[in-house]
Amino acid sequence: MMKPMIDDETLDRQLRDAAPYIDDGGFTARVLANLPAARRRPSQLRAIILISLTLLGCAIAYLLSGGGRFLVSEGVMELSSFPVWMLFVFAFGCGLVVGAVAVIFAIRKTPEVHDDLARLGF
Amino acid sequence: MELSDGQLVARVVVDDDQHAFAELVRRNQSTVRGLLRQLTRTDMALADDLAQETFIRAYKNIRSFRGDARFSTWLYRIAYNCFREDARKRKELVGIDEEHWQAEQDPQTVDPGLRQDLMHALNLLPLPERTAVVLCCQNGLSHNEAARVLDIPLGTVKTNVLRGREKLKRTLAAWAPS
Repeated sequence: MMKPMIDDETLDRQLRDAAPYIDDGGFTARVLANLPAARRRPSQLRAIILISLTLLGCAIAYLLSGGGRFLVSEGVMELSSFPVWMLFVFAFGCGLVVGAVAVIFAIRKTPEVHDDLARLGF
Repeated sequence: MELSDGQLVARVVVDDDQHAFAELVRRNQSTVRGLLRQLTRTDMALADDLAQETFIRAYKNIRSFRGDARFSTWLYRIAYNCFREDARKRKELVGIDEEHWQAEQDPQTVDPGLRQDLMHALNLLPLPERTAVVLCCQNGLSHNEAARVLDIPLGTVKTNVLRGREKLKRTLAAWAPS
């Protein structure tokens, strides 16, 4: 004797009910035992390198400038002799350069934007 | 408070937190192993090996998880790729294997009971239909998500689900106890 055909919803519900929950039974432990060793945390390493290089650069600049005389004293004196509009242009230019570099790095660090730009042919 | 899958993934990516990854494995192991058992036709040892490979690959590539799909959907895709690669490695031509497997089956020998009948009927489906039915009907993925997991066109997924469902209904109707 043939049963009448069941509807989609009933079939889906029966399929879900028929799929048993599989007990972990040590599966998670086996996966963890086979994971590659924890990676060294790149953020910490990067921070240490950047701070070290910054301090080294400051020390070298301080020594080469004769205790900061050339860079600080003479640099500020030189800037103070500039006309105001030129200082504005200088500050604006510096802002643009720093902003552009920041945007470039941000795009490189964001795969979604990077992929979209690549798709657009940039 | 229980962390979401997304928050656990973030912990794995930022802190390389293996405890967070263990929680992700615990949450998803049943569905991933269940899917692979369906694909491998209840070869539990092979399914569990592939499931283990799936989670290890997920851990290694977790930075490529973009969060635009559910984590479980992303895992299904990896699991399906593991299954396909394994089938290719074993040089098993899926089509021939399917026919051979189906010829061996005799619906009259199946244990009585709806659950056994249903799972057996599911195992009788050709691989593309079985996979689509398991993903969409059993695991609740949308057709779009299943298309992404299987890397096939949306229309093909819809067709496979439709055909699979019809075959299951017919088989179940034919197996009704007299």
